[in-house]
Order: sequence, then C-alpha cells, then structure tokens
Amino acid sequence: MFEREDETVERVIQHLRLPVAIDAGLDARVMREIAQVPRPGRRMKPLWPLLAAAAVLATVLVVRPWNWNAANAADTLQFVLVAPQAASVALVGDFNDWDPARSPMQTAHGVWATVVRLAPGRYRYAFLVNGVEWRADPSAPAAKDDEFGTPSSVVTVGGRGS
Amino acid sequence: MGINSVEPSDAELVRRVRTGDTGAYGALVSRYRDRLGRYAVHMIGDREDAEEALQDSFVRAYRSLARCDDPARFGAWLYGILVNRCRTTGARAARRRRMFVHDAQALDLAAHADRADRLDWTDAVDRALARLAPDYREAFLLKHVQDLEYEEIAELTGAGVSALKMRVKRAREQLQKYLREAEHV
Amino acid sequence: MMLAALLLVTQAAVQDPRLERLDPDTRGAVAAVVDSAHGVGLPVEPIIQRALEGATKGASGTRIVAAVRRLAADLGTARTALGTSAAEAELEAAVAALRAGATPDVLANLRDVRRPPLTIALSVLADLVASGVSADSAAAAVLALAPKARDADLVEFRRAVERDIALGAPPGAATSVRLNAGAFDVPGVTNTQGNPNPPRRRSRP
Repeated sequence: MFEREDETVERVIQHLRLPVAIDAGLDARVMREIAQVPRPGRRMKPLWPLLAAAAVLATVLVVRPWNWNAANAADTLQFVLVAPQAASVALVGDFNDWDPARSPMQTAHGVWATVVRLAPGRYRYAFLVNGVEWRADPSAPAAKDDEFGTPSSVVTVGGRGS
Repeated sequence: MGINSVEPSDAELVRRVRTGDTGAYGALVSRYRDRLGRYAVHMIGDREDAEEALQDSFVRAYRSLARCDDPARFGAWLYGILVNRCRTTGARAARRRRMFVHDAQALDLAAHADRADRLDWTDAVDRALARLAPDYREAFLLKHVQDLEYEEIAELTGAGVSALKMRVKRAREQLQKYLREAEHV
Repeated sequence: MMLAALLLVTQAAVQDPRLERLDPDTRGAVAAVVDSAHGVGLPVEPIIQRALEGATKGASGTRIVAAVRRLAADLGTARTALGTSAAEAELEAAVAALRAGATPDVLANLRDVRRPPLTIALSVLADLVASGVSADSAAAAVLALAPKARDADLVEFRRAVERDIALGAPPGAATSVRLNAGAFDVPGVTNTQGNPNPPRRRSRP
C-alpha cells in the first residue's frame, strides 16, 4: 500500500520533531569549561585568545583526561614475540588487513617486536612466523572464535567508539 | 502580583554574562540545549558526536560572545555556530547512499539480523536521513524540524533561498524514495 | 518481490579493492554479505577484516563465506541488544561477548547501567571467558562492576583475575575473590555461582 508522498514525509517530520533527550550533564560540562575562560564582553587583547585556549585546554585535560586521550583516538602499542629460531615474524590482524607485508617485526636476541598505532576498538591478531606458522600472543587474551583453525589473540583499545 | 516573573530574554541574559554574571550563561544553555540538541542528533546521526558538537558550540559561543552583534538574536547566532560545527564533525559510521545486492541468503540474513521480522520504521527513518547528502539533510532539518524561515536558514548557511528550497524539495523526494525501498526489503 | 529484489542493481557503488585478494566466487558472495549488512546499517569493516583473515590463512572460500555470514548475523544480534546508536567498536566487542556465551539480555543490561562506549566492558567480559571463567560468572562480575568502574579499572580487574588463574586459582574463585577484594560493593554477587542480575525492562530507543 502506498501512502501519498506528502503523508510519508509528514510522518517523518512528525517523528523527527519529537523531543530528543540530551544528556543532562551537558549543562554542567559547559559551565565547567567556561569557568576557566576569562569573562567575555570586554575588548580582547591580542594575547587573550591564546590564554583562553590554554585555559580551556587545561580544563579539558584535568577534568576529563580519559576523554582527551580518547579524543586523540589512537593508542600506540608494542607487540612482542619471543622466537629465537624464527627467520621472520610478521604481525597480522584486523588493523592491517591481515597483510603480512604491512607490519614485519624487528628482532634483537630472539625477541621480535613492532609498534602499531591503534584507534579505539577490539582487534584480532596473530603472529606469522617464517611465513607459515601461526602463533597467538602468549601474553594476550585469546580470541575464542578461531573459525579458520589457527590461533589468534585479541587486543582492545579503549576510548570513544570507532 | 507585584513582581514580574517573566523569564529574562536572551538579550538580558547576554547582557548579564557580559557584565560578569557567568551563571547567566547557564540559563541560555538550558534554554537552547534540547532544541539545538535535536538538530545536532539528527544532522550528525550519532548521539555522542552530537552532544560533543553541542557542548563545543556552547563553549565557542561563550568565548566569542563579544562578537555577537545583536544579543537579542543570540539564538540565531548560536545556531550558526552549531550548524558549522555539525558540518565539520568527522563522519562516524556514515551511511552513504548505496545500491545493495540481494541474494536469497543475504535476505534471509537480513531478516534474522534484526529481532523483529522487519525493520523498525524509526530505524528506517534514521537510515534514510543519514543517506541524504549533508546539505540536503541540513536544509530539510532546519526547515521542517527546527521550523526556521528560509531567510533565516539562508543567513545561517550562506546559501540562497531558492537553492535552499530546491535542497528541501530534493530531500523530501529522496526520503520518500528510501523509505519505499526499506519497506520492500 | 524477491525476484524484483534480485533484479535490483547488483553492483555496489564501490566494491572494496581489498576483496580482490579473494577468488571471484568467494569475492562475490562476501560482497553480497557486505552490501546487505550495509543495507541494514551494520558496520562492514569487521566483515571485510574477517574475510581478509581467512584469505591470509588460506581458508577455503566456503569457510570464509560461512564465517562472514555468521559475523554479519552476530553483528545484527549485537545491534539489536545494544541499540542503533552503538558504535562499530562496541558491536565488535559485543559479538565477542556473545560468542563467549553472554546472552543478549546481558548486553542490554550492560547498556542500561553503563554509559557508552561499552567496548572495554564487553571486551573484558569476553576475555574473562577466554581465560576460563564461566560465562555466567564473567557476566555477573562485569555487570556488578559496570555502573561505577572506569574502563581502566575493568581492564585491571581482568588482568588480576588472569594472574590469579595463571597462579592456579580456579576461575570462578578468582573472579569472586577479586570482586570482593576491590573497592566495589557487590551485594548478592559474592558466590561462585555468579547469578547474573535479573533482566530489566528496557524501552527501545
């Protein structure tokens, strides 16, 4: 059954016009941020914008350090595997399209390592040793669903969503 | 009786903030929070990003309050800050216009992917809205949901009135089309 | 109606070039799953990554397609439980929790008691189960901590439990000991049975 065009769109509009609940804490957060800012209304001196920005920045860092880190949206993690006999080790996972060429690891005395920047999220990964052998990360939680028959591990980076 | 208990106007509140009464800004935030928040949520399509954009806009408005030329039109001025802020927000799980492939298995999958046997209408609306081009969505929301006049929208967005009318018209057409499609999945 | 749907434009606006690592048949089937998941508003990146994982691991096309179909379905279940505003990372973590044995009700309860993002809380739940804690105990522990604990606290809790298990403690005992040792007041969740909190009424968003 087809509604007349206008009716569909009107239903949409009525739906969108419904009140949307905004987090009640927002008012307090705004007031907290502006408390650090020197009062507006006066003639601004050239140095002022810098000071104001620094004050707001400091507030954000002090009041919400976790969110600030999250707002940067990435964490730098080091992945390590001890494999003295290996000729090559690659890190593969959800963060590099499971492509062994993307994150080859460097070794010193049998300890293989590499560093990766990860945005918040949960990532499955594994080490590919000598191009053929799959190893999970012994120091990380296991990925339980290994539907391809090889072990994987999981790393989760916190912060605000994707 | 004797005391006039009408709420202070925007101009009055702005005046108080400018003379040092920071708390008066709180009244402005309360006054505009829900209405502007509704716009941000529908425009951005994500509650958290919308609240962040809203919060950011309030703070920016406060910091540049000296540049608000007409305190009586604080609301419009704040709107302008918010509309701009919503434009620059990073797309988060943006659902773009796509054609999609159906095969029997995939349709089956879609049916089971959602608890109800068919999509909630409100989900369909949200998705359809998200599929609109940003400037269509913006114009549509400002006109039909936020109830602004075309002249006001022109001021906020910098677009001409006839261009805006066309955008709203297109938005209506496309919403209609997407919702039809959603019914037939 | 289904025929009409099949005759619908069968080409994604842009097919992800990474899928070219798959053989043509597998690629087509995976692309179909990606597109229909996208059509119902689910994130597609996890699905693509799962296909690429299969490709790198040399899995058969059949296995890859089965895996991505299962993932797409689970993402849908996760989104039903968490709501349409759930972020991609939350949905991925929710899938892990579901596969670890958490019920959709547990996910919905978590959503009721904790501000988003729920990524870490859900991951901790899944990771606890991976360490050997029963799904019920893990769910009960995370739900008990969820209202007040910060993400970092939840991660620390998980690490502490894993350490205890590595040192020989039975998983259930390790969980409840850690809960009791923490600064969190957890009435009713101190036994090793770990009964999950009763489900609450939740209104749809």
